[in-house]
Amino acid sequence: MKNKTFQSLTNPLAKNNPVLVQILGICSALAVTTQLKPALVMGLSVVAVCAFSNLILSLLRNTIPDRIRIIVQLVVIAALVTVVNDVLKAYVYDVSKQLSVYVGLIITNCIIMGRVEAFALSNKPLPSLLDGIGNGLGYGAVLVIIGFVRELFGSGTLFGYQVVPECLYEAGYVNNGLMLFPPSALIIVDIIIWVHRNANKDLQEK
Amino acid sequence: MSKKEFLGGKNSNAYIVFYSTVMVVIVALLLAFTSLSLKDKQQANEINEKKNAIVASLGLEKGSYDSVIDAYVVNAAGEKVTIEDDVIKRLNKLADSYAAGEYIVFENKATGEFVLPLIGKGLWNDIWGYVALESDLSTIKGAIFDHAGETPGLGAEIATPKYQAQFVGKTIYQDGQFVGIDVVKGGAPEGDNHAVDAVTGGTKTSDGLENMIKDCLQCYDAFFKALTAANQEVVETVNAE
Repeated sequence: MKNKTFQSLTNPLAKNNPVLVQILGICSALAVTTQLKPALVMGLSVVAVCAFSNLILSLLRNTIPDRIRIIVQLVVIAALVTVVNDVLKAYVYDVSKQLSVYVGLIITNCIIMGRVEAFALSNKPLPSLLDGIGNGLGYGAVLVIIGFVRELFGSGTLFGYQVVPECLYEAGYVNNGLMLFPPSALIIVDIIIWVHRNANKDLQEK
Repeated sequence: MSKKEFLGGKNSNAYIVFYSTVMVVIVALLLAFTSLSLKDKQQANEINEKKNAIVASLGLEKGSYDSVIDAYVVNAAGEKVTIEDDVIKRLNKLADSYAAGEYIVFENKATGEFVLPLIGKGLWNDIWGYVALESDLSTIKGAIFDHAGETPGLGAEIATPKYQAQFVGKTIYQDGQFVGIDVVKGGAPEGDNHAVDAVTGGTKTSDGLENMIKDCLQCYDAFFKALTAANQEVVETVNAE
């Protein structure tokens, strides 16, 4: 039992990653990953929303009337996202400006409603909380990888600090402009999926 | 009474209405509480951003606002007006301030340069900005523009440093007459000191930008003239001595 609970945290991080296997949350993965910092903040925001929406809805699961189930889920998720948005505006104002509408759009992120429907409504609070954290982290990890590659090759910086040395530029190296456009995120996601499927043979379609 | 019987069970209409009402009230209270408790911090952030934009147009470091800038309000005749509220908070209602004939001035105490806040209409929504003038009151030292909803890649280009850089060194006065800055579609003529390029594909935004610069800066005409006259007097007295 202990082991199973723990698996709900680790499974989405490794084999059953929501972005890589279920291809959920791709929209925001393209939009907020030109730099590492917004990608990281976005990932953490989704962890918070996903964890708490799973926890709250799992606690409420026996009281929710079936007919307004989706509405209750949406209200809880939307309220959490609004709180997260307010907190970001108060404490990391510059990042919240960069993320702009995408924080609000966490409400429509398929991962969150997907986990609530598929897991939280039929499981106890603790595994649900862990499942939420796990899926949020799984999403955040992919975002951070994409953000890392895009910022490093697109701008030559990481977290805004110059990491590609000046002498490379003098030797003729140029930043890859494609990395700053959305298609590059898709290509990177594809490469990650390729590596991921190669490591998990049973995910490969026959 | 067991839970199942409460209001006739989980799927009765009465229970659903009761459940949604309670849920909405709780969520409303929670959101109101968060919003109120974080409001001060958010507003401080917004004001800080404005202060940084003002000093950035002067080419100064972030956070230097409080030590270098003197903010005040002048009227249409160019005289200083005393106001009760904080000048920087007036930027939130800049259009009202212009309409009331109260024009906000940010003066760099050390160098006699001025930053003037602008507000106007782009294609879809408000555009605004800060123009920094050298102490000759005509040459633009720096300009910063921002927008609420112009088209990304087209009109929104006015918010890029690359676009704003072409304003540097342009003059808004010609032989003592206010001319403003023309935003010219197809490219400004070479050597024209009062014109910059328009944004490709952003004609309406460019028109809005030109109008904003002219309409807003014109309001300070009397203030600039009074200041120039005062400066000349000082020079003359010094020469006479």
